[in-house]
Amino acid sequence: VPILLVFALINTPAIFDLRPGNSLVEFLLGEGFDVFLLDWGYPDEEDADTGLDDYVCDELRWAIRETLRAAVAADLTLVGWCMGATLCAMYCGLGPGPAVRTVRNLVLLTMPIDGRGSTYERWVGSPDFDSDRVAEQWRILPGGAVDFANKLLKPVTNFWSTYRRLAVQVAEGSARPDAYQPMAKWVGDNPNLPGRAWAQWIEIMYRDGALPAGRVRLRGRRVDLRRIDQSLLVITAGSDHIAPREGTMPLFDVVGSRDVTHFDRPGGHIGLVAGSSARRALWPDIATWLADRSD
Amino acid sequence: MPKENGSRSGEEHLRALYDQVESQTAEALEDLVSKPSFGRLLAATAENAAALTRIVSDTADLVVRNLRLAGRADIVRLARQLHRNEDKLERVLQEVELLRDEMGADRESKHERVIAT
Repeated sequence: VPILLVFALINTPAIFDLRPGNSLVEFLLGEGFDVFLLDWGYPDEEDADTGLDDYVCDELRWAIRETLRAAVAADLTLVGWCMGATLCAMYCGLGPGPAVRTVRNLVLLTMPIDGRGSTYERWVGSPDFDSDRVAEQWRILPGGAVDFANKLLKPVTNFWSTYRRLAVQVAEGSARPDAYQPMAKWVGDNPNLPGRAWAQWIEIMYRDGALPAGRVRLRGRRVDLRRIDQSLLVITAGSDHIAPREGTMPLFDVVGSRDVTHFDRPGGHIGLVAGSSARRALWPDIATWLADRSD
Repeated sequence: MPKENGSRSGEEHLRALYDQVESQTAEALEDLVSKPSFGRLLAATAENAAALTRIVSDTADLVVRNLRLAGRADIVRLARQLHRNEDKLERVLQEVELLRDEMGADRESKHERVIAT
């Protein structure tokens, strides 16, 4: 069963294949899986009217189709991370249908489905904040602005401590450029976010908890997470401040799968899956789970 | 020797003090950014920045277009049309591939029937 990796819209999927020796793609290939990666590209102003419906109903569906054709397979495993996981869950929530039935296993890594109660909600969830107008005026949200907002959640850690620690490591001679540089390059590589997709995301995630309640509609079709009947692996991170565990847990109340596994591990939003200890602490467990469901 | 020990412990003491200040500042700022009032400030800043960006962009575009040159809006419109065409072509390609697969399957089943008879 081939694997299709899907990352968020606000950073590049390079995180799945960061550097030799610390790459989930390399690891899964080594375990004998056929691995494919969905790259959303770098949207610009001409993509301003691209919404979540386009990403889920067209882009993701087409990527699944291409994966199945290239791998000459009847079904696949969908692995989503962060916002990418939410898009994958939305896709499966559109079922049942021939296209959705091709997803045999669903792996959701640090996925937000209900952002109410988070810091983001306090920033953009207020009805006074006219996200549609901002989206219409900005057309496309600069990647740097989205990254700045994310870093603002932990201002001292992100804007000061990281660089201070690096300076200390360089002074002590313990810095590892081979580990630091690919990660720093990835962190600084921020594709823009289409205004329409951003406004829809805010509405769904921070205003009314529409996703777990089954009130989201994409092109007239209701996204109902109860329709997710694939073998499901959900991974949450204990110190995740971007997609806190509390924002993922409502999924378990609604999901229709009979085969549900939940790994709750210590770690941050990105570090859990891409950190230096992930190869030992998490990836083998993912590979074992996948292998058991790939015959 | 005692002096060296003393200076080392002084340095360690300073470092511990600095770490404490840094972690307390981090905590205080995280508290600050999670307050609704900070959220309102950030939202207002984003709204104003978006409006300002739009005004500057539209004005610059107007200047360029008055010089009878293609402005950014024209290029964006063209790029959007190209993307639409690409999407349409992709849909046509998918239909063609689907038909080809169906025809291939049909041909194969006919061939099997002929062999069987």
